[in-house]
Amino acid sequence: MQQYDAIIVGAGAAGGIVAGVLAEAGWHVLLLERGPSLRFEDVPRDDIRSQRLSLYGHNAGPEIEGNPRVVVEPNGNERVVRPHEGGYHNNAACVGGGTRVYGAQAWRFMPQDFQMASLYGVPEGSSLADWPITYEDLKPYYERAERELGVAGQNDTLWGETAPDAAYPMPPVVPGPQTQALKRGAQQLGWRTFAAPLLINTVPYGGRAACIACKWCVGYACPTDAKNGTHNTLIPLALATGHCQMVTGAMTERIETDARGKVCGVSYFVEENGSARHESARAKVVIVSSGAIESARLLLNSHSAQHPHGLGNESDQVGRHLQGHYYPGASGLTEENVYNGVGPGVTCATNQFNHGNSGIIGGGMLCDDFIKPPIDFWYTSLPPDLPRWGAANKQYMRENYTRLLHVKGPVQEIPSPHGRVTIDPQVRDKWGIPVVRLSGTTHQATVATSEFMRHRAEEWLRASGCYKVWSQPRGIGLSGGQHQAGTCRMGHDPQTSVTDQCGRVHAHDNLFVIDGSLHVTNGGFNPVLTIMALAFRSAEHIAKNFN
Amino acid sequence: MPVQLTNLQQATLQAVVNRLIPVDEYPNAWDAGVGEYLARHFEGDLKHLVEAYANGLDALEQEAKARYGNGFGELTAPQQDAFLQDVEQGAVVTVWPIAPGKFFRLLVEHTMQGYYGAPLNGGNRDAVSWQMTGFESRR
Repeated sequence: MQQYDAIIVGAGAAGGIVAGVLAEAGWHVLLLERGPSLRFEDVPRDDIRSQRLSLYGHNAGPEIEGNPRVVVEPNGNERVVRPHEGGYHNNAACVGGGTRVYGAQAWRFMPQDFQMASLYGVPEGSSLADWPITYEDLKPYYERAERELGVAGQNDTLWGETAPDAAYPMPPVVPGPQTQALKRGAQQLGWRTFAAPLLINTVPYGGRAACIACKWCVGYACPTDAKNGTHNTLIPLALATGHCQMVTGAMTERIETDARGKVCGVSYFVEENGSARHESARAKVVIVSSGAIESARLLLNSHSAQHPHGLGNESDQVGRHLQGHYYPGASGLTEENVYNGVGPGVTCATNQFNHGNSGIIGGGMLCDDFIKPPIDFWYTSLPPDLPRWGAANKQYMRENYTRLLHVKGPVQEIPSPHGRVTIDPQVRDKWGIPVVRLSGTTHQATVATSEFMRHRAEEWLRASGCYKVWSQPRGIGLSGGQHQAGTCRMGHDPQTSVTDQCGRVHAHDNLFVIDGSLHVTNGGFNPVLTIMALAFRSAEHIAKNFN
Repeated sequence: MPVQLTNLQQATLQAVVNRLIPVDEYPNAWDAGVGEYLARHFEGDLKHLVEAYANGLDALEQEAKARYGNGFGELTAPQQDAFLQDVEQGAVVTVWPIAPGKFFRLLVEHTMQGYYGAPLNGGNRDAVSWQMTGFESRR
């Protein structure tokens, strides 16, 4: 059987970074990825089969057949869903994970985001808690992620930064006509705005070309490789060392433990010529980086005589506190043209309402949206009183595609222990591995924050000159999706957390979870830069302490 | 064309989608390739709905005859629009094998997908709707 220093399950935002850091440190690494390595031409610009609008499928995995999940609705009804269907909470399954096709917003969480319980108290029925680390602990790793992958931004978003040399490695995206309108509105309201930070090359960086401002950014692969994920940064770096072996199409079945219950490796399936080959590998350290839903699934599926409820699950914490982001926003029509066809389209953000909102827990960032292909616009950007068909509908599409402002943003979620991942007792995937069962909802307080932010979005659009503004309230439900987090939260107390502050699973000395699962709370921002910073920090810890 | 639909069903389909997206300076749904989009998807991701389409189109034709004494294609454009609004609301006088409102929503969504979606799926001929909307610069 093959012996490695480390096995990493999942080559996404976190796993790719851990592979890079450990391989650079001289470790022999096996990097297992269930999906394929996708070239640009493997990711079609199919606007009804993307991670953005997934009517019939996806362009970056997982395959829609053979990978079901079970969803339990709040009313108790159960459904078996496929990856592109509602309630599945999918993220891309390929080398790079979500970073292969994401929009690449590169926000640091704010210092307050790590201390939500201390700042706001714990609402009844919620599992709101402080992180075991602070912003200051993570800051050097935010900087490292920004530098090593490449972030373009405006320095105002480097919270409280006073060092004269603190700066993003690349200048921010250029403003467009929508930026001018939104800046005017914000000025009138007394709100500060700035360019959203992006993991996108605004100038050539890291040996890769600059963004050519095409319209196909979020949900698609970049034609000039200017969008920075782990697939084009840390993973190639890991492979170039010669001691990282990446196996694609490899679905991990379980983490193996020895007779004493100590983690010793993994077993996995590899598809070859239409049939499955079962493989096992051993390692000093096993690192689970499969995303908040699949990481919890793997720990729970790895039960054994010594660990009857799954690995790390002695306190019934694995899979709980699943969170993502509610995404309140508003649309508005202007008299002027606010579209110039220059992608990615995200240009103007405010963090005026991330904290300090009277009577509200937390808050969120607001920002203009990525350019939407017209069919996406038809689904998302019609006023509620407009007919869905006929001459009036066509006229609306024709006149207003270039005159619509859309702002939205992720709301800091108030986690609930009942929003969770468990294992379904019956349903299995194409490998025969028991699948995820998703149940519960977020905490009700999330809805109040979301409603507050929705009204701020409407206010911004009115001040920006929109003569007609609308939005949709959202009711309570489970959240996860591409921003999924929280299912193996880090903490000091094994009774209320799954890992220590470096991602090491309590009661195991060589098993780590490193991905969004660790997030105690998920900020009012896109979480990927925090996932990356935590990955650098934990990987550095492993490299230092296990040699 | 979808082999599973009869000529009459296809003719009804064409007449209906051309009211969902009528012609103006830019083409109607059928001329922009919605038929081709549907034909491809009836052999793929919409295969399971071909029977629903056949039944729904028959019912729509029968409903038009019951109410106007004419097939859908022979009605005037204002009659067709008023009739489709009733179908959308489920205000029908004959017995339908599929809920009329549900069938109509499918028709609307699939028509929009074919008209506004990427040309690689068979519709949106010459990216005409992308120029109409301004998504791509107008030629």
